[in-house]
Amino acid sequence: MIEVRNLKKIYNGNAVLKDVNAVIEKGEVISIIGPSGTGKSTFLRCLNLLEQPDGGEIWIDGKNILDARTDITAVRRKMGMVFQSFNLFGHLTVLENIAMAPISLLKKNRSEAESQAMTLLKLVGLEGKANALPQELSGGQQQRIAIARALAMEPEIILFDEPTSALDPTMVNEVLSVMRNLAKTGITMIIVTHEMRFARDVSTRIFYMDEGIVYESGPAKELFENPAKPKTKAFLRRIDMLNFNLDRADFDLYNFQSQVVAFAEKQMLDSKQIKALYSVLEELLVNVIFPEISRIDLEIGISEETKTTELCLQWQGNAENPLDSDSVSGELARMIIKKRSKTMTFTPLADNKNQLLITL
Amino acid sequence: MKVIFNRQDSTLTVVISGNIDTVTAPELDSQLQENLTGIKDLILDFTAVDYISSAGLRVVLMANQQMEDVDGNMTVENVNEDVRDVFEMTGFDSLLNLK
Repeated sequence: MIEVRNLKKIYNGNAVLKDVNAVIEKGEVISIIGPSGTGKSTFLRCLNLLEQPDGGEIWIDGKNILDARTDITAVRRKMGMVFQSFNLFGHLTVLENIAMAPISLLKKNRSEAESQAMTLLKLVGLEGKANALPQELSGGQQQRIAIARALAMEPEIILFDEPTSALDPTMVNEVLSVMRNLAKTGITMIIVTHEMRFARDVSTRIFYMDEGIVYESGPAKELFENPAKPKTKAFLRRIDMLNFNLDRADFDLYNFQSQVVAFAEKQMLDSKQIKALYSVLEELLVNVIFPEISRIDLEIGISEETKTTELCLQWQGNAENPLDSDSVSGELARMIIKKRSKTMTFTPLADNKNQLLITL
Repeated sequence: MKVIFNRQDSTLTVVISGNIDTVTAPELDSQLQENLTGIKDLILDFTAVDYISSAGLRVVLMANQQMEDVDGNMTVENVNEDVRDVFEMTGFDSLLNLK
């Protein structure tokens, strides 16, 4: 159904995808896992041409979608996509959000589209919310609506780009539960996720991405229990990752620190390592990031084996490394961060996104 | 964070307990400012300080500067290893009188 050959994508001279090769059969549920910044989302976005690849081929049902003669609109209609942010129209009701695209693009009449929307709302367990506005719903409910909206276009393939990353932890399960049910329907699903247990339970196969390629792939049970390659093994030894979507307007340092400390203690870091971790995070967020940037995504990963801590920050804005700033007010903070860090790598990504990777 | 002031003539001993971070540093600063008038010898007792951030360093630096301005002295006593690390990585160990 989908065959990817030698796919390449380069941002600002940085090859995020170097040589991706993959075959995905109809009805498969593929979870793409791997460290941050290894091109998982970029790969997904290349599949429906939200990103234009710099080389390679993507064949879908026998058509190379990178061929200029291919009808891209027709190919895109085969694919739905669910994003990290739900992107619902705030001025439309839930029912209108779901029915809009089938009416305008599939030329369905309103009653047919609304009847289908009601069926989909039942599927995601929100039939009682048809007339609600998105802002009246929780994040988890909005993401379930976004899934229903993607399904309304009757796609053959549905792509999920970290669908639970922006959610409060209490809402993750309701979305995963909808996705578990969807996986049983036979629709082809490709999911970028950090939810390892979910990936193991629902996927037919796992793609582990690293070094700009599908570094290792295999049936979920096999890959999780017996990874063959060293980087896959190292990655899977990480017990957990902790994700935050932080907004300076409502940032609560002590609440944040208590979550970080609880996580670090669970990963068996000693008190000195924990202090170093929250010292870097306090300096970074309060004195370096938030004076310049209002919202960031932060992922904290701790290797069980080496106790190395990796911080991955992503935000939208100008391609400037905040650690290169010469602001006097942040000077001490930058000094502390630099002394405590083993590596610091800033990478501009697509769509004005930036990434800062720090290892401690 | 808890702060106890003990004044004898122109000597002020400040016993600080807890973390001096982004949230508590402004409070420490304002309490110091209220108590520094007429002080020539300032002793910051860090026995019970577990953690200091750059916001805390700035408060310590300002207090040191104020003592220099009046030809006074400031010492920071009983600094634990973690806090000493922060002083060292920022060069404060050579600016301050650490005991």
